[in-house]
Amino acid sequence: MRKLIFATLVLVAVTLAVSSGFAAPRMVIPEMEFDFGFVPQNSEISHVFWIYNRGDDTLKIEKVVPG
Amino acid sequence: MEIIFSTKSYNQKVSKRPRITTNEGPPDKNVTVSAEIIQRPDSTYPIIIRPYKLDISQFSDKVRDKMKFTIVNSSDSEVTLNLVADLPNVATIDIPEKIGARKSAGGEVKLLPSALDKSFEKSFTIEVVTGEATTRFTVPVKRTLKAPGADTTSQKAEPVAH
Repeated sequence: MRKLIFATLVLVAVTLAVSSGFAAPRMVIPEMEFDFGFVPQNSEISHVFWIYNRGDDTLKIEKVVPG
Repeated sequence: MEIIFSTKSYNQKVSKRPRITTNEGPPDKNVTVSAEIIQRPDSTYPIIIRPYKLDISQFSDKVRDKMKFTIVNSSDSEVTLNLVADLPNVATIDIPEKIGARKSAGGEVKLLPSALDKSFEKSFTIEVVTGEATTRFTVPVKRTLKAPGADTTSQKAEPVAH
């Protein structure tokens, strides 16, 4: 009986590990560059980049470091 | 993701590459923004935008929700204008499709009702096509609202009787 319980637990653990191993986020940014062209000095300008998650797990943006 | 770039007193071509770290793991990804920062926006070619910065600030209760600007074609040929980046969720932008040689035409930025109670600094970008050449121009748009409770009306001190 103990062997059966142990085997079941191992099977569940392996199944969870395998399924979580395959689920992953995948960040896709269709437009990775933007050219503002001519811009006056001492201005604040902005551009919106769209980020898509094409994976099958939640994508978390952990950090954005200014370049 | 909105990238905000302050041009400060940079001069000439500048590129910035913010780095994005996610739970996807390495390598991190970069996006790139580049700009040709100019000291004399009143002398650009093939167009000149007047004013070159739009300030739709509102310092009284009178609603200010739009601003007109002029685009001058300083070249000797007709130019075609395309709006390549607008002001999503903030304003609509109206620009002419074409401007004849040495002619000028008007444009307008009109704030959306949902943006009237907001202060912001954003921009829109126009692409100008002359023959086979394309040139981009980015116009900063700023809106500052009167601080809550601030009284901006001019007040004179009442004379005090002694």
